[in-house]
Amino acid sequence: VSEPVDDTTTSRRGLLAGLVLGVPVILFGIRSAILDAHDTHPAELSRWLIGSAAVHDLVLLPVVGLVAWTLRRAIPAASWPAVRAGALVAGTLALVSWPYVRGYGASTGNPSLLPRDYTLGTLLAIAVTLIVTAVAATAAVVRARRRSRA
Amino acid sequence: MTPDTSAAVETRSAAWLGVALGITFTLCFATGLWSHVLQHPPAWFTPPPRPAGLYRLTQGLHVTAGTASIPLLLAKLWTVRRRLTVWPPVRSTLHAVERLALLPLVGGGVFLLLSGTANVARWYPWHFYFPAAHYAAAWIAIGGLVVHAGAKAGTTLAVVRARPADSTPDATRGDRRAFLAGVAAASGVLVVATAGGTVPALSPVSVLAQRRPGQGPHGLPINKTAAAANVVDAALDPAYRLVVTGPGGERALSLAELRALPQHHATLPIACVEGWSATARWRGVRVRDLLALVDAADAPAVTVESLQRAGRYRSSELRGAQIRDADTLLALELDDAPLDLDHGYPVRLIAPGRPGVLQTKWVARVVVP
Repeated sequence: VSEPVDDTTTSRRGLLAGLVLGVPVILFGIRSAILDAHDTHPAELSRWLIGSAAVHDLVLLPVVGLVAWTLRRAIPAASWPAVRAGALVAGTLALVSWPYVRGYGASTGNPSLLPRDYTLGTLLAIAVTLIVTAVAATAAVVRARRRSRA
Repeated sequence: MTPDTSAAVETRSAAWLGVALGITFTLCFATGLWSHVLQHPPAWFTPPPRPAGLYRLTQGLHVTAGTASIPLLLAKLWTVRRRLTVWPPVRSTLHAVERLALLPLVGGGVFLLLSGTANVARWYPWHFYFPAAHYAAAWIAIGGLVVHAGAKAGTTLAVVRARPADSTPDATRGDRRAFLAGVAAASGVLVVATAGGTVPALSPVSVLAQRRPGQGPHGLPINKTAAAANVVDAALDPAYRLVVTGPGGERALSLAELRALPQHHATLPIACVEGWSATARWRGVRVRDLLALVDAADAPAVTVESLQRAGRYRSSELRGAQIRDADTLLALELDDAPLDLDHGYPVRLIAPGRPGVLQTKWVARVVVP
């Protein structure tokens, strides 16, 4: 689907005002990266900035799309809002937990840093999310059946 | 009112998510800028020491708002995913410029959330210095946000002010609300899962908190240990002297001499740039009293240097009101016991309203330039 949505949502005057105000701010950031090149490694930073958008658009988005498409067809329609919310919570938890679970920042000399069992904590949090989701999804399906009978 | 096509429904979700992101990103930018000027104050700026807990609040908000933004940004990009592949990709020069300005916004936004999250987890899969790169990227992203907000301000305002068209089927309206509620739930869960390092009440369920309140020497977390700073021998050396240098000459004070000076208590937080914070009761000598020993009571600025030989945070600067604040101490004790080596024994700086990295530990010299 490719509707000409931008025509209906972009204001030409607003965009011009945004450019006048925003482009100098962008340039200030680029200037800061260049002046502080010893610390910012501008070439590497550019790769990370462009790479962040590219990985989101070309990897994360298709994966989420595929998961959503599959889930939606596998479950009763009435449970979709609950399942979608549960997947959002569990998915973002899993994403953020990644460096903790992998233990990239673990320090042997400083037990006060990253002191928890992050794998166990993440699994518990996701398990609770899935249980709440299952209950909500089931309730939604039951409600929908009652309504259709009535 | 736009017709209730699927595009219009998307527009409503995207507008509300845009408002939420506008708020969280602005909050992150303002608090990040505050953290930046405290650590790199321009010559004309004297960082205010009061309110003492201000940095704890601003930096806690910075990390919390950033964390809450993760589901918001992912959901926002999801709702507008079809626009990525609009055909033709470019319809006019202005349309090209608008699309081009999405790169700093999307690339910068995703990078800021990714790098901030990685930093709190102490994961550095890159060679640049995180604060400098995060700072430059913040200007780039916020500039992109200003351009985008300008382009979409009219639509967003219309959506926020208007009620959905009466023709919108209830199911569609309910679906959009359920979607936005799911996004809000994901943001809330992430905040609760990470905020335990600064809100002790959340700690039991903060499964991704970087710190646990009460864990560490004196029940206070540690950022850098004495061993990691390579100062163990120098800090434990019986010949240790605190050297204070000013216009009135130089004084070298032993620990016994420091303890003989008037001692004062201060209850102040350690507030880390990574978002955690914890309050403790410190006791030691006021910096202004020490400076009086070398006729520098009115010094506009002083440098506090650590025993550390290297490292970006081996020294820090105090200016103006920070120097003269009654709670700006060179602390010898924490909770009525001598400082633990990892908390900066024999002497550390503790002052109100400062980032933790500027609370210099293992102090060797106080210098009036």
